[in-house]
Amino acid sequence: MMPNLLRKELRLARHPAALFMPWLSVLCLVPNYPYPVMYFYLTLGVFFICMSGRENNDVGFTLTLPVTRRELVAARFGFVMLLEAFQLLLACAFVALRALVFADRGSNAAGMDANLALIGEGFLFYAAFHLSFFPSYYRDVTRVGVSFVKSSVLLGLMVTAEIVACYAVPFWRDTLDRPDPEHFPAKLVFLGLCALCYALASFASLRVSQRRFARLDLR
Amino acid sequence: MNGPLCVEGLGKVYPGFTLGPLGFDLEPGKITGFIGRNGAGKTTTLHAVVGFLRPERGTVRFWGQPLEGHEAELRQRIGFVSAGMRFYQRQSLKRITDTLRPFYDRWDEAAYERYMRRFALDERKTPEKLSNGMQLKYLLCLALSHGAELLLLDEPTSGLDPVSRTEVLETLLTLRDAGCTVLFSTHITSDLEKTADRILYLSRGQLRADCELDAFTAAWRLFRGTAAEVEALPPGLVHGRRRDREGVSALLRREDAAALGLRCEPAGLEDVMVHLEQEADEDDA
Repeated sequence: MMPNLLRKELRLARHPAALFMPWLSVLCLVPNYPYPVMYFYLTLGVFFICMSGRENNDVGFTLTLPVTRRELVAARFGFVMLLEAFQLLLACAFVALRALVFADRGSNAAGMDANLALIGEGFLFYAAFHLSFFPSYYRDVTRVGVSFVKSSVLLGLMVTAEIVACYAVPFWRDTLDRPDPEHFPAKLVFLGLCALCYALASFASLRVSQRRFARLDLR
Repeated sequence: MNGPLCVEGLGKVYPGFTLGPLGFDLEPGKITGFIGRNGAGKTTTLHAVVGFLRPERGTVRFWGQPLEGHEAELRQRIGFVSAGMRFYQRQSLKRITDTLRPFYDRWDEAAYERYMRRFALDERKTPEKLSNGMQLKYLLCLALSHGAELLLLDEPTSGLDPVSRTEVLETLLTLRDAGCTVLFSTHITSDLEKTADRILYLSRGQLRADCELDAFTAAWRLFRGTAAEVEALPPGLVHGRRRDREGVSALLRREDAAALGLRCEPAGLEDVMVHLEQEADEDDA
């Protein structure tokens, strides 16, 4: 049933803004911009999906279909992860484009440069979002705003920490926050570790969310 | 035990309201009406049955299988429709149907088109452009198109005009004749009198009757008289009094009415329900 559920997510549950948000990877082309904010915008899109889902009774209606509660949660995760993958692919493209076209613009004064490590940070931001938003959301799907506030506070702190780290933490400042292809192997390892964190966090978040949703009374 | 629906000891506790424990079976190929006043627990029961709520106790089995662990396969055979259930307000009915059709193994496109025509539904419209009654018809159309063997309907005729209500009721009778089992909740007792074979009567979260509709109403008699005449009846034998413009009515058990030698009239389903509820209100007071 997963392909059908993913199709339902795309055709019925999706919010137009959520499909637009991945394209905000184009912000990589803006000089002196806190680039990780583009990852926050995607989480805003997920919030819109869940919010319009609440108004359209998406969860209750889906539960009348021949699907399990676990599949319902997994489909939402799957859809969000597809959006995230799409955004990261676009981010790679815009990072590459920036390196080609704006190589002479110098370093980003507002945090991480648009480079390979920024893609790795995307995985970290998504991992934090999965851990903070979904378990809270699937405890009570009517309280979308509360769940989003929790994840937004966390992501806001992470963006701030990232900007500070680019000035104060030597590894961030001297290795990661450098234009490509400088320190490429180190950035590649960083990217791999972040992707691993993302996979583990998503798996843990999925399991907790499924367990909580299994106990949830829909009103 | 292996009937379409078997509920045993179902219970759910809310602050100020306790449902159950409830137990009932649905007979295959019958229409069972689920009656009770607002707040009696009909919707809560149906939501617990279809898995929207997690009951604190009891079991619910469909064809001998619990929903948990068999949700996907059992929901292929079940249709659930609830009046007032919102769904994808800005998507066209065509888009919704196209998306939902692949979920069902036994989707019957001919039946879908037949019911869409019968209910005068336009696929190009979005739910927000439809009245509540038309939205309900669409949900019914979906439920009827995937070959559901058991239909669980929460207030399916609520908000429908008399002609549409009759259409829906006739559809239920046709489905019953084809072997489908139906449980539908309503407080429009005349709908049940037209269609139901059996009734479940829920009052204050407790099941007060689970029997053939005719047997339920046949057990009661309605005495009509002046206030003084009703007051003169033995209090223990009167199960609720109601006033109307012709005087006062009192509900009595058939054997009690016969023993008292009263001239009574047969009680309709609504008569029985409103008098019993009044009696329960008096008991609470």
